[in-house]
Amino acid sequence: MNLLGLGKYPLDNRRLIGALFLTPALLYILLLVGFPFVLSIAFGFSDVTVGNTDLSYVGFRNFLNVWENDIFRQVFETTIRFTLLSQIFILIFANILAVIFTQDFTGKWFARFIFILPWATPVSLAMIGWLWMLDTKYSPIDYLLLQMGLLGRGGLLSDNRNLFWLAAPDLAQISVIFVQVWRMTPLATVILMAGLSSIPTDILDQAEVDGSRFMRTLLQIKLPLILPIMVIALLFSMITMFGDMTVVYVLTRGGPVDYTRVLGLYSFQVGIEGGNLAQGAAISLFAFPLLLAMAIFMLRTASRAEVR
Amino acid sequence: MKNLIRMLMMLSILGALALGSSAQDTEISLLQWSHFVPRYDEWFDAYAAEWGEANGIGVTVDHVNFTELFSTLAAEIDAGDGHSIVEVLFSPASFIDGLHDLRDINEAAAAAHGERASTCGAASYLPVNDTWYAYTHGYVPDPGDYDIALWTEVGYPEGPKTYDDLLEGGRAIYEATGIPVGIGMSPELDSRMANRAAIWSFGGSIQDENENVVLNSEETIAAVKYLAQLQNEAMTDEVFGWTAASNNQALIAGEVSYILNSNSAYRSLQKIDEAAAANIGFTPALEGPAGAYASSHVWQIYVIPKYVEGAELEAAKKFILDHTANYSDVTYHSELYNFPCYASTVPELDGWLEADPWGSEPPNKFEVLKTVNDWSVHLGFPGVTNPAISQVFAESIIPNMVAQVALGEMSAEDAVAQAQERIEEIFGEWRARGLVGGG
Repeated sequence: MNLLGLGKYPLDNRRLIGALFLTPALLYILLLVGFPFVLSIAFGFSDVTVGNTDLSYVGFRNFLNVWENDIFRQVFETTIRFTLLSQIFILIFANILAVIFTQDFTGKWFARFIFILPWATPVSLAMIGWLWMLDTKYSPIDYLLLQMGLLGRGGLLSDNRNLFWLAAPDLAQISVIFVQVWRMTPLATVILMAGLSSIPTDILDQAEVDGSRFMRTLLQIKLPLILPIMVIALLFSMITMFGDMTVVYVLTRGGPVDYTRVLGLYSFQVGIEGGNLAQGAAISLFAFPLLLAMAIFMLRTASRAEVR
Repeated sequence: MKNLIRMLMMLSILGALALGSSAQDTEISLLQWSHFVPRYDEWFDAYAAEWGEANGIGVTVDHVNFTELFSTLAAEIDAGDGHSIVEVLFSPASFIDGLHDLRDINEAAAAAHGERASTCGAASYLPVNDTWYAYTHGYVPDPGDYDIALWTEVGYPEGPKTYDDLLEGGRAIYEATGIPVGIGMSPELDSRMANRAAIWSFGGSIQDENENVVLNSEETIAAVKYLAQLQNEAMTDEVFGWTAASNNQALIAGEVSYILNSNSAYRSLQKIDEAAAANIGFTPALEGPAGAYASSHVWQIYVIPKYVEGAELEAAKKFILDHTANYSDVTYHSELYNFPCYASTVPELDGWLEADPWGSEPPNKFEVLKTVNDWSVHLGFPGVTNPAISQVFAESIIPNMVAQVALGEMSAEDAVAQAQERIEEIFGEWRARGLVGGG
């Protein structure tokens, strides 16, 4: 059989097979990423509201209005700060855990299974659990601290019976960053584990023969070799976190005051809850140039590290 | 003759079939919240099914969490397809372009049932374009809930009546027992309501009657200073991180002396611990220097999106009007949570407030709600609830303004000025769309 004159057997034709295999991914990107993205650009340059989706062009008005909004600038800064701080911890913990999980020890598979759960659990469900853990009045963490004498009258941490995890500005920010690190570390770890597993064993054997010990092998051989993969893990994690609103939506709704309000949440509050769809779209689009620049920079870094 | 009779019988059957099939072809669907009182949903679903059978119309009712109502309505309007009737709990003024003008049923209800509570009209009507974008059938009072024993101990057996009482009594209770007052200052619904109530009662407001922004006033600044003092002297920092459920939980646990809420917190307690529930009393809006005002807690607002047409539209309107005509059942099965916009539809209400049919002790616990229409207002008070007011509400600008001052991060003057600036931006955008008056 000779379909389309592409060769004796169509399945032997690399171009055809390549196109076939790529089609589902392309369709996915076009329909579920590309179309909403183009739509949000159209919304950002229009006067659209939740009740009126006529796209009347207003130029850069929404973007200028958003930029003049003090709350937006604070939200933008908070989003960047949360993302960067989280990534530092994610990178440290993911590297440590990836090294541990690539060693042989009893119960490794069970430990891996337990560890991946934060990533596998639906985020909203996990956040409801954290909302309870960090409750301003009934937090089990506070209860334990109280039993240990660290809270309550004369307590080392506070005279109150509670620390008010989600109500004190500093603690609320720390709580959100902690929960993001808890949620995102497993993915980064799994990616790094894959990287560590792919290092050719002859290189590691050679190092061992040359007398390289654990830390030297890790710092001078393993980490440089998995640097491109580490950058990819970081990129995944940063992009996911930059656009996330679920964690703060469930835990703090952006409070206290605006301390934990991030771009995704603010865009939702203005665009959907407040009905100002055009401005909500403009708020979310401010993340795009930053993420694009970040992605280009990181992918280039990964590519250079790979070449070396 | 026989043939004629046969023919007439045949025609009658065919006619009935035709009517039947056209009636059965008509279907309506409703989207509304999972009511805080589960008993109400049970009653409503059965009522809707019975109404459908009686009118030959298929009725489907879907319930979702109240936080999903606006996002679902937005998605359905954008898609041009979805439920025939959507019930939301806050004014959907920003959806106005995607909603049917319901002037006809608002006028029909007023003609049939008389005067409408002002809090209801202001949440459904936009004067700037003279449109009834919604039909509000009910609202929920937001009285003060106080711990009778604690307040009796400090000399207020009937609870606080003024904001001065709240500060004096609340502080005395906090100092003596460590039990705080519970007025939220966090980005959530109850905080938004409670903070507005204080501002109105001190004589401030976000906008005036003509929809001009007037937040930055001496009266608002005084209210914000008062709230900050109340927080510093009679509350803990937990109020900065409260969710909408937090004050309910605190009341049920006996860990607050006073909250502002609907009767849902009390009803929950009543089902768990009758003795503790008997210790909860209710106060009307507290008196401030400029009067006593509190926002309604939520409103029950029906809207019909523009994609609903023809027989479905007519059936939806009929459902809404029939539902209002049955409001005694609505109020009763919601355990007096839903109050009627048209008082005449629930002639039993005063009797129920004097003797709670759901077993309160003492039976006249809710009697203070007889005056609710004197002090229960709406989000845009003293103007209407327009799209700008809805966005200000969604962005939690008011509780954040208050929290900044209570946390000591900003002076009341600066916080109010900053909030005014953002609110003016929001009003300007909606005014440019022709959906807000003034300017």
